Amino acid sequence: MSRSLSSIAAALFGSLLFLFLVAPIAQLVATAGVEGGAKLATDAELRRALGLTAATATAAMVFGVLGGTPIAYLVERWRFPGRAAVAALLDLPLLIPHPVAGIALLLVLGRDSVVGGAALSLGLRIVGSPAGIVAAMLFVSAPLYISGAREAFARVDRRYEAVARTLGDPRWRVFRRVTLPLSGRGLVAAAVVMWARAVSEFGAIVILTYNPKTASVLSYDRFTSFGLREALPVAAILAVLALLPLTALRTLRYERRPGFDIAGTGR
Amino acid sequence: MIEARGLSARVGSFVLADVTFTVPKGAYGVVIGPAGSGKTTLLETIAGITPQSGGSLSLDGRQASALPPEARGLGLVYQHGYLFPHLSVEANIAYGAVDGDVAREVATRIGAWQLRERAVDSLSGGERQLVALARALAPRPSILLLDEPFSALDPRRRESTRRELRRIHREWGITVLQVTHDFTEAGLLGDVAILLDGGRVLQSGKPEDVFRKPASPYVAEFLGAENVFAGTGRLMVGEPEVDPPVARTAAESPAAGPRSLSHAVEFASGPLTIYAVASSVENPGYAVIRAEEVLLSLEPQSMSSARNHFRGRITEISTLGALTRVTLDVDGTPLVAALTTRSAQELSLAVGVEAYASFKAMAVHLC
Repeated sequence: MSRSLSSIAAALFGSLLFLFLVAPIAQLVATAGVEGGAKLATDAELRRALGLTAATATAAMVFGVLGGTPIAYLVERWRFPGRAAVAALLDLPLLIPHPVAGIALLLVLGRDSVVGGAALSLGLRIVGSPAGIVAAMLFVSAPLYISGAREAFARVDRRYEAVARTLGDPRWRVFRRVTLPLSGRGLVAAAVVMWARAVSEFGAIVILTYNPKTASVLSYDRFTSFGLREALPVAAILAVLALLPLTALRTLRYERRPGFDIAGTGR
Repeated sequence: MIEARGLSARVGSFVLADVTFTVPKGAYGVVIGPAGSGKTTLLETIAGITPQSGGSLSLDGRQASALPPEARGLGLVYQHGYLFPHLSVEANIAYGAVDGDVAREVATRIGAWQLRERAVDSLSGGERQLVALARALAPRPSILLLDEPFSALDPRRRESTRRELRRIHREWGITVLQVTHDFTEAGLLGDVAILLDGGRVLQSGKPEDVFRKPASPYVAEFLGAENVFAGTGRLMVGEPEVDPPVARTAAESPAAGPRSLSHAVEFASGPLTIYAVASSVENPGYAVIRAEEVLLSLEPQSMSSARNHFRGRITEISTLGALTRVTLDVDGTPLVAALTTRSAQELSLAVGVEAYASFKAMAVHLC
């Protein structure tokens, strides 16, 4: 009896949370998705914002993958003093409020900073440019990639690498021939999560680069300037853009994963 | 050649400590030991996968302690194969091969080449082991480390693969070190047996020595010597001295030390007095007699050369295929004899029947 009660309670709370997470986005897309799709044809500013968002998120993802893959491999595979501290520091950007992240980035990359000043002298303006958007996106989303990549590497049994080394491959070649292919799916998933997170970033971007506007900044701008009705189509399109690749990827992963039957009746 | 001197390694809380043994060049070594004794860790330490924390390791005369795995010139086969799932069977076999013809030839001999077009995830456990073995042999390593490589093969395939591997080992002059749970396999394959427990070597040497002359009662029990008797022994004054058994070849002779003469020993264990041969006696000690060395008869064997004769009553008979184990109660002490099932049937042995057990003094190992 108590077991069935606890099952009912678990199902109830689970369903409520699921609805709470899904309903607002579903409502947003249902309400304004079609209108947002139609606006793509007529609203040049929306098209520019979406293009800029996709391009800067992709650039941030490329930087994240290039830098994050070796970091994730190092932290996952090597034992060195301070490894736990390094792992904790890598998660830090996930824990601070994103406007705070933007302010911190402004301190490091602003035109009065050493890096920002050096970049300006080379003709590269970071703040108030797409470079600033990429920097903000990279800062807030790279930890997600690193975390996913670490998990992907952890899933590769070290004995595959051990065998490859006894077959004559040095460490770097084992990484290329064995570790990378075996962790590939996990790395791609982590990269997609990073991309989706970058697309949806607002807080850090708005501090670093208000203009040119990404889709998230545009939706905020329309909301504050014209109200909810004008913001809704942009928000709906942005939600679809962020969710589509992630949902497709997750669906594929769950379908490939073998299930198990709790009742033990087999499948 | 694999030469470990005080080899140590640590994996989590497990410690492989002070491991010393030698497998001569071209010899076949077997590592036996219970689960969790450190057999796989030992292979991984030799392969350079688990970092060595102490001692020295020499492979084919080269100091190998500081060499990375890829520079050690060895092959490693895990029990579960660890075939690369993203590659075809053929690509797995060819992974480390320098010469494609050698890879194909050895895979054909092992019986893995016929599997080359199959997907790795469609292979059975035994087939994976065959491919893993072919993959490890394809680069023609000078040393081969095998972790229970035949465990998933059916008995017929196991026998033929074992034979073929033995042939390749002889033809190529490879030094092999194989982990096994199977004592028969250890006896069949090994030139050197290394008994490992709790990360330490309990005994190493020729398999027949390890099996017939266990260094301790624990080793005897672990190796399945059913008759282990605690007691005290004394050298028998006036009994003629006996030369130690003559080694079969010069290479097998214990040339390192001076030849010590053996003496007749009377060993008392409860109601039993056992006659043995030894060069010295440690008290208190143990007398170990393998069940295979004990002869059973229904009549007293007064005209036999065996020094030990006991009368008892059969308390248990257990038959496993062609082998039957008979337990005799000798004045309250169980004595186990192993004989063929056919012999047991011909003797009409049954529980409660009185029988006579005998064994030679040379069959008694004192430790």
